[in-house]
Amino acid sequence: MAFLEQALNGLMMGSIYALFAVGMVLVFGVMRVLNFAHGVIFMAGGYMCHAVMTHVVAFYPLALLLSAAGGAVIGAVLERLVFRRLRESLPMQIVASLGLILMVQNGVLLLFGPEAVQISVPAMRTVVPLGPLGVTLQQVLIVVVVGVAMAGLHLFLTRSRLGTAMRAASQDLQAARVVGINPDRVFALTFALASGLAALGGALLGPLFLVFPAMGDLPLLKGLTAIVLGGMGSVGGAVLGGLAIGVLEAESTLLAPTDYRDLVVFAVLILVLLVRPYGLFGRRLRGEP
Amino acid sequence: MMRGIRAIALAGLLAPGLAQAADTITFGIVSATSGPLAAAGKFQINGFNLAMEKLNRDGGIEVGGKKYSVALKIYDTHCSPAEGASAMERLASVDKVPVVLGELCSPVAAAEMPVAQDNSVPFIITVPTAESLTEQGNPWTFRVNADNNQLNKSLGQLVVNRAMAPLAFIAWNNDAGRGGVKSMQALLPADVKVAYTGYFNVGEVDFSAHVSNIRRSGAKAVMLFMDEEPGALAIRQIRDAGLDVQLIGTLAMGSGRFLTRLNAQYLSGMVQYNAFPPNAPLPRIKSFNDAYVAAFKDESHGFAAQSYDALMVAADAVHRAGVLGNGEAVRKALAATRYDGVIGEIRFDAKGQANPPSYVTQWCDDGTRKIVFPEALASACGGG
Repeated sequence: MAFLEQALNGLMMGSIYALFAVGMVLVFGVMRVLNFAHGVIFMAGGYMCHAVMTHVVAFYPLALLLSAAGGAVIGAVLERLVFRRLRESLPMQIVASLGLILMVQNGVLLLFGPEAVQISVPAMRTVVPLGPLGVTLQQVLIVVVVGVAMAGLHLFLTRSRLGTAMRAASQDLQAARVVGINPDRVFALTFALASGLAALGGALLGPLFLVFPAMGDLPLLKGLTAIVLGGMGSVGGAVLGGLAIGVLEAESTLLAPTDYRDLVVFAVLILVLLVRPYGLFGRRLRGEP
Repeated sequence: MMRGIRAIALAGLLAPGLAQAADTITFGIVSATSGPLAAAGKFQINGFNLAMEKLNRDGGIEVGGKKYSVALKIYDTHCSPAEGASAMERLASVDKVPVVLGELCSPVAAAEMPVAQDNSVPFIITVPTAESLTEQGNPWTFRVNADNNQLNKSLGQLVVNRAMAPLAFIAWNNDAGRGGVKSMQALLPADVKVAYTGYFNVGEVDFSAHVSNIRRSGAKAVMLFMDEEPGALAIRQIRDAGLDVQLIGTLAMGSGRFLTRLNAQYLSGMVQYNAFPPNAPLPRIKSFNDAYVAAFKDESHGFAAQSYDALMVAADAVHRAGVLGNGEAVRKALAATRYDGVIGEIRFDAKGQANPPSYVTQWCDDGTRKIVFPEALASACGGG
């Protein structure tokens, strides 16, 4: 029972890590861009949700949708203004994304002040009984929404023309160009989609915890770990990597002191990389060990 | 032309320092005015500002027969040890303040203390509670607020009297959290069972794993060694999970502000140590609370009262030292302090630690507080 309870706890945070990691993997897989500013888009999602709930309409499902849409717009703008110009230079992408973190976090400080804000959705605090255990409706919602988003993303990538174009661009950009795919359009769409998912994550986590400028830092670290664990470039690997980290973190508290949680997660990561240097679901590329 | 521009630029650079040197004593303040601890930092800064206004209203500080007005130079350390050490270095070597005061976070204070010592600048801590800070015996560091051991003493007694064991702890994974747990465990009798101890890193927000472990441990009470924001999150997650436990918290969880983060239902019955129950029927507390409410339209807080007293103590020490620019003279004057402050009498022991009174307050069903310890001051709801 204890393992089941901790698995449920881990599933909730793991879902958030997965949502986060999938966005980063999409951007990296399609554009070869490593966007460390993904965390601040996650945070911006939390603030957008708060702003909608406070100033527009106190209807949480609508706030979720608007936050995801706002994140997508931010992503598309960032791709067009910043990352499109830096596509060929990984060091410059990293510097630009670190600069974006500073700009966005300080912008939020100016707009919303230094104190953490709360998204109040009393209905989502209702406790759902699961046998002897109890989880809040918000925790259930997080797992369900992330599940639906992942399923929708899978369908989009495998069944739609745009999704197929994204996959084609990620596999061979030159060949994709030859068959008439416009890379700029695909890249903008990829960035928008990834950023929309990140903002959705922030809006989902906001009512459960607090919304503050650094709220994306921890998911960024765990999301990156999930990508490496699952295998760079693998969407499925990122999902499973995120979920695995969430569950592993929670289960580890049954076996070791809670302050060893990160130690356990990173020890497992190192073990996996020793056995499979390309991650659980990554593919070995020519020339790699 | 260029010479003229250079002269103007140089005058601009030097002017503030010269102006201050003439008739103003500027004290250095380190606090967190942005980030997750900004709310706590605001109480601290409000306390310093209130003291500065009071000193200036009373004519300033007399040093060597001359009156000086008081100003503050505030640096935001973001609760980061690196930024704290850097701010201390700057206050000591560039701003050349006679005393540095404040800090919110124990690990940051620990990083600032050796820098203060290296620069021969007295440092008065006003909020961090890790006992290790003053136990080191750094002669340049003083602390006006009670440390973990002093605060936990009354709380530990209450745990025994009310048979709250077995106990569980959730604490920050740093000096403040670990120090709090260690101190409480040392104070409790050996037969008081600790069923669970969980630590979390600053910035973590998910306490669900701790809540599940506490449920399985059978703990009757949970002690939270953390600040306002994580405290509010932990309490919400504990209550939302339906855990029927006695909540025990820190000073940060006994304010009107904290109530607004949650609600009376979440907090009802929770006890916490408190250095300054603002509604206590004591004249020194009432007068400070009235002044604070008049100035900031908000209930006062222990962090504000401690910081207010610290600046008063610093001003008193500079006055008694009788000279400016002599850190050793101010340090000696501080060590000999006897001051009746709003938090109680302040006098430092050989390690620079004061021993102000501490209290235990409890949240009532209606969102007010009452004092439950010391018993001589026990009050009805609304009196804490």
